[in-house]
Amino acid sequence: MNDNLSRMWKALADIDKHRDLLAIMVGRNLKIRYKRSVLGFFWSLLNPLFFILIYAVFLKILKCYKAGDQLFLPMLVTGVITWQFLAMCLNDSLYSILGNANLVTKAVFPRIILPLSMAIGNLVNFLFSILIILCYVIVLKIGHFAPVSFVFLGLLPLAVATHFALCLGLGLILCCLNVFFRDTEHILSVGLLAWFFLTPVIYYLSDIPAEYQRLAFLNPMTGIITTYRSAFLGVGIMAPRLVFLSFAIAWGICIAGIAFFQRVQKRFVDEF
Amino acid sequence: MDDSAIQVEHASKKFKLRHGGSRTLKAMVLDYVRHRDSAVNREFWALKDVCFEVKKGETLGIIGANGAGKSTLLALISGTMEPTVGSIRTSGSMSSLLELGAGFHPELTGRENVFLYGAIMGLSRKQMKERLEAIVEFSELSKWIDEPVKHYSSGMYIRLGFAVAVEVDPEILLIDEVLAVGDASFQRKCLDRMKDFKTRKKTMLIISHDLPTIMAVSDRILFLEQGCVHGIGTPSGMVEEYHEFVRRKQALGAKRVWGTQEAVIEGVELSNGAGVRTDMFKSGETLMAKICYKTTRPIERPVFGFAISDLNGKVVYGNNTQIEKVIVPRIENAGEMILRIEKMSAAQGSYMLSFSIHSEDHLTNYCRLENTLEIKVTSDAQFEGCYMPCVWRQEAGRP
Repeated sequence: MNDNLSRMWKALADIDKHRDLLAIMVGRNLKIRYKRSVLGFFWSLLNPLFFILIYAVFLKILKCYKAGDQLFLPMLVTGVITWQFLAMCLNDSLYSILGNANLVTKAVFPRIILPLSMAIGNLVNFLFSILIILCYVIVLKIGHFAPVSFVFLGLLPLAVATHFALCLGLGLILCCLNVFFRDTEHILSVGLLAWFFLTPVIYYLSDIPAEYQRLAFLNPMTGIITTYRSAFLGVGIMAPRLVFLSFAIAWGICIAGIAFFQRVQKRFVDEF
Repeated sequence: MDDSAIQVEHASKKFKLRHGGSRTLKAMVLDYVRHRDSAVNREFWALKDVCFEVKKGETLGIIGANGAGKSTLLALISGTMEPTVGSIRTSGSMSSLLELGAGFHPELTGRENVFLYGAIMGLSRKQMKERLEAIVEFSELSKWIDEPVKHYSSGMYIRLGFAVAVEVDPEILLIDEVLAVGDASFQRKCLDRMKDFKTRKKTMLIISHDLPTIMAVSDRILFLEQGCVHGIGTPSGMVEEYHEFVRRKQALGAKRVWGTQEAVIEGVELSNGAGVRTDMFKSGETLMAKICYKTTRPIERPVFGFAISDLNGKVVYGNNTQIEKVIVPRIENAGEMILRIEKMSAAQGSYMLSFSIHSEDHLTNYCRLENTLEIKVTSDAQFEGCYMPCVWRQEAGRP
């Protein structure tokens, strides 16, 4: 335990010492992502927009979209865009070590910089998306299209921080696993799909059978998306204790991810 | 005061070789079920019990054949790899880039990559800005610095890599085979810069196959052979040993056994004049060879021969029973033939011995053992080739 703790501190100290490298790596990741495509940054917005469109059409056809539910579309928008952060971040993190094999084998620097810079790059992206959601919600409010209120907007930083911690923790674990088992990619794509439907992304939490609603909060994304919806739409949080549980699990995964990464990173070079 | 820059103590490095590429979770689960480990094919020690020390301000060259473990050693010293056994201690900042240009991202411009490089080496943006001009100047890339490095030629790539590595100005510079790339004028610039490093009392470790250059730059040379330290010493001494090693390897490569197999040389025992078995001889002493043969049918009037070659494959001396007018009437079943060279007067060095049994007309080779035995000859005198008794006499001066 003490060992893990000292590893954690060393990780934080390493990151602090290499702030410049971290900043450059984040910039590099963002630049490379958008350098080649004409639409650049807008792809990261267009992508979820298409998803939202598809889900909206299908949910309407499937009659899950209750008539007169003005909050349905904003619910879908917050759900899909926030989920997108997790999905993109994990997919990017997966190759943060393998994709930089030349750096890992030829240079000495804290390895954690690589997945961390991936997560931060995605966070920057996500913060822009949040601005878009905010604009959308403000338009709704001004136009009286939906009964949106901003009383819980203060929850936003907490939700973003927890969301980021979860993405980082899982990303750290995934990038390590991918070094040791090259079929992690397939497992991730299946896992993400299952997780997506287990999380109230395209449905309300209240759509889950009542007896399973408490259980759903063991999934950290349930608590995180619930909080986002509360912040953007002004819906009160039904069960703050359960949300707290979700958050605690997310932070636990983050700490476990850092500890795991620091433990196995020395073996990376031997695996290439 | 501790004046050592690098201390390597009993460092060994083991690699696990896997067949069939990377490991998958599927393979691991199957292995677990079957209680075996299919992935690890065999283990391989790239370095075995390596010990040496480099003093501050010293330049150590590392030579050795391909696969001797040179790059692994550098990776261990830099810290990208950890030794399986043993320890490595270094003091002072180190250029941590083992391969020039490794880590450059093709999509980023030269300038962006320079900053990335600097950050990896732990320099701040400000420190890198101060050095940028010198880097651009040294690499002669002023027109190209804002182009993505994917448009660079390989020479430009290396130039930029070397420029950054030296401008970062570490206490310890590790260089793996840079001298092989770049054109002549850039190589000279690199050498000048390395000499400049030396005069400023910086520590350098250089790997190269370019022996003349490494001899010129190094204070000492470490000669690695199959993961072990073959020797560490003066540049000229070590390079000479390396040459000898390469020659021996080539000579061993010339080892060949062939023939009709009607007679087979099963073994040759070498001994000195006192009858003690050895493969070390003093020049001018007696060499005895007991050739044990076996035949499948009786052979009439065979000829036994031998040859002594140096490590370049050149025959120094060869002779046979026919030349010496020794007639072997007939051999059958198994037997022994004794060869006695009264005065084996070869110059100091290593030699390879060949033996043969062939027909009188040289048309049928029953058995030939080419370059199969190695002997070492020591000598007090410094003559070359083979000693032939000679006399020098000065004539009276002419008027």
